[in-house]
Amino acid sequence: MSSRAVTAGGTGSGYDLAGEPAAAEGPVEGVASPARPSGSLWRWRPSRVTVAALLTGLIVTGALSLTSAAVYNRNERRLLNLRVRELSLVLASTAPSTQTPLASAAELANATGGDAQKFRAFMAPYVGPGRQFTSVSLWPLGTAHLAPSTVLGKTPALASMPERAERFFRHSTRPGALNLTGFLESPHPALGFDFSAPGRARGFAVYAEKPLPANRRSKLEKNSAFSDLNYALYLGHSKRTGDVLVTSLKHLPIKGRQASDVVPFGAGVFTVVVSPNGSLGGSFFEHLPWIIALVGLLVSLAAALMTDRLARRRRYAEQLVGVLDRVAAENRDMYTEQRSIAQTLQHALLPDTLPEFAGLRVGARYVPAASGIDVGGDWYDIVAASDGQVLVMIGDVSGHGLRAATTMASLRHAALAYAAQDPSPSSVLAQLSDFVNSGPHDYFATMLCALIDVGAHRLTVASAGHLPPLVIDDDGGRFVRFDANVPIGVARKSPYLETAVSVRPNTTLIAFTDGLVERRGEVLDVGLARLRETATNVELPLEDLLIELAHGLASEGHHDDTAIVGIRWQS
Amino acid sequence: MRLDPTGAQVVTLSGELDSSNADSLKERVASIPPRPAAPLIFDLTGLRFMDSAGIAVLIGAAAKASSMSLRNPSPIIRRVLEATGLSNVLSIES
Repeated sequence: MSSRAVTAGGTGSGYDLAGEPAAAEGPVEGVASPARPSGSLWRWRPSRVTVAALLTGLIVTGALSLTSAAVYNRNERRLLNLRVRELSLVLASTAPSTQTPLASAAELANATGGDAQKFRAFMAPYVGPGRQFTSVSLWPLGTAHLAPSTVLGKTPALASMPERAERFFRHSTRPGALNLTGFLESPHPALGFDFSAPGRARGFAVYAEKPLPANRRSKLEKNSAFSDLNYALYLGHSKRTGDVLVTSLKHLPIKGRQASDVVPFGAGVFTVVVSPNGSLGGSFFEHLPWIIALVGLLVSLAAALMTDRLARRRRYAEQLVGVLDRVAAENRDMYTEQRSIAQTLQHALLPDTLPEFAGLRVGARYVPAASGIDVGGDWYDIVAASDGQVLVMIGDVSGHGLRAATTMASLRHAALAYAAQDPSPSSVLAQLSDFVNSGPHDYFATMLCALIDVGAHRLTVASAGHLPPLVIDDDGGRFVRFDANVPIGVARKSPYLETAVSVRPNTTLIAFTDGLVERRGEVLDVGLARLRETATNVELPLEDLLIELAHGLASEGHHDDTAIVGIRWQS
Repeated sequence: MRLDPTGAQVVTLSGELDSSNADSLKERVASIPPRPAAPLIFDLTGLRFMDSAGIAVLIGAAAKASSMSLRNPSPIIRRVLEATGLSNVLSIES
């Protein structure tokens, strides 16, 4: 009744409070998984990175937007300046159309001595409603009182202002040039033009007047080249509202972005002031800063949200890594624990101490497989069998793990029982073989039995698929030659044969399992030769020899467990 | 590992056969329907290594099949079969 332990990142992964493993659940279940990123906006606390991303986006957007606005404004100003200059040029170019008729009339007057008839005839096309001037008059300059000698069209305003006329003609005007004067305060505002020929004591002056629109308003045509401008034309250098001649605007003075230029007109000047009617460079660029701001804001928000999400994911992943690290550490601990259990088990299954025998030194070593925690299936036994005889049994059950170990244990005990009845190797193997084959089994075991007659210096061996033992004496070392029969557990067609070997005094016998000589990619004989090389021609006590052989294994990184048994005649 | 019926049932082994894949081979072999007329052949041409787990599978297969042989084992494998006395009970063809 183990309950699932939910500990917040605690110690007991997979174990309930009683310390028993949680039933059939992976180790992660017991640890509370880290909080998933919540989507609720209420608890949305932005991380530093998110805020940074958002601020960066806003700052960049702001900078771009401002830059765009600045560029647009500069462009507009530049364009406006260009336009006003264009307008100024166009206006200035109309001067000749005013000056030329007056100049010609002046020449004519001087030539004809002020002939009224001729004057009237000449100037007639220029005067009248809808024509260039409403009034043209001829003023002789030689007289004491200035007054027009001939008037065509309306009576000029100047005619009723003798002081002004005096000032104008005598002092203000320049001969040989078009002179301007304005009547801007009067109820009928007008502009006056004068021309007198240079030299000849300034004979006659031709004076024309042109009315200004009543409210000085004059809109440019829609399709005019300057329809993108509002303008105001002033007389002289002034920009005062009182001095405006014509304008397209309702309210003066012009507010906002404007440019002005001086328009030379004969001897006088106009001042033209313009302001843009809409956006000179195109309305898209006018709106661009706002578009940039809006898009930038959206992008910044999106980036910030994405960053926030990524930051969350990362935090979650880091938490996960923490959990995984914990799990890995726990697995490592469990593995180490299991390994030591396995080794304890192995230790329990093999003989603890070897008995002593008169006239023999005996030793054994077991080397577990390098990797893994699995127990192996190798075993050995050295037992006394009727007086003066010693039975050595060594075996290797196929496979690994607890199954092989328990099979090995039962085989070992069965062999010991059979050996106690009849220690002859062929009998032990045959009985063991029949015993195993009599029931279902899915393993096999190689086994070697060697019955040693200490005093007679003889050994009798039988092998069930097991490698031959190595016999070492003063002449060197050699493997016992025999034909191995099949391993225990394989259907047997013939009895196990015994091979008898006589040995010299002080012979050493090494019995082993295939882990000692088998290497991947190598023919078995190579390993056997290597063993023989290592074991012969060395003067070592038996224990040390066995240690030496076992050491040679450990450095190889062997994958199979190995048992080595050593027997040495003392004489 | 492929199942290649060519009159006889041929199982081709290649690479290495050890405790890591012996169990899956055992299952594959168990799934082969036993046919009294058709012998079971293990083609060992490409097999570089076989440990006791692999031998156990072959022994098990031999016990169940009516006739089984090992084809073209490499020198290493052949030596192992000799040392364990199996070369006398398993038919080996080159």
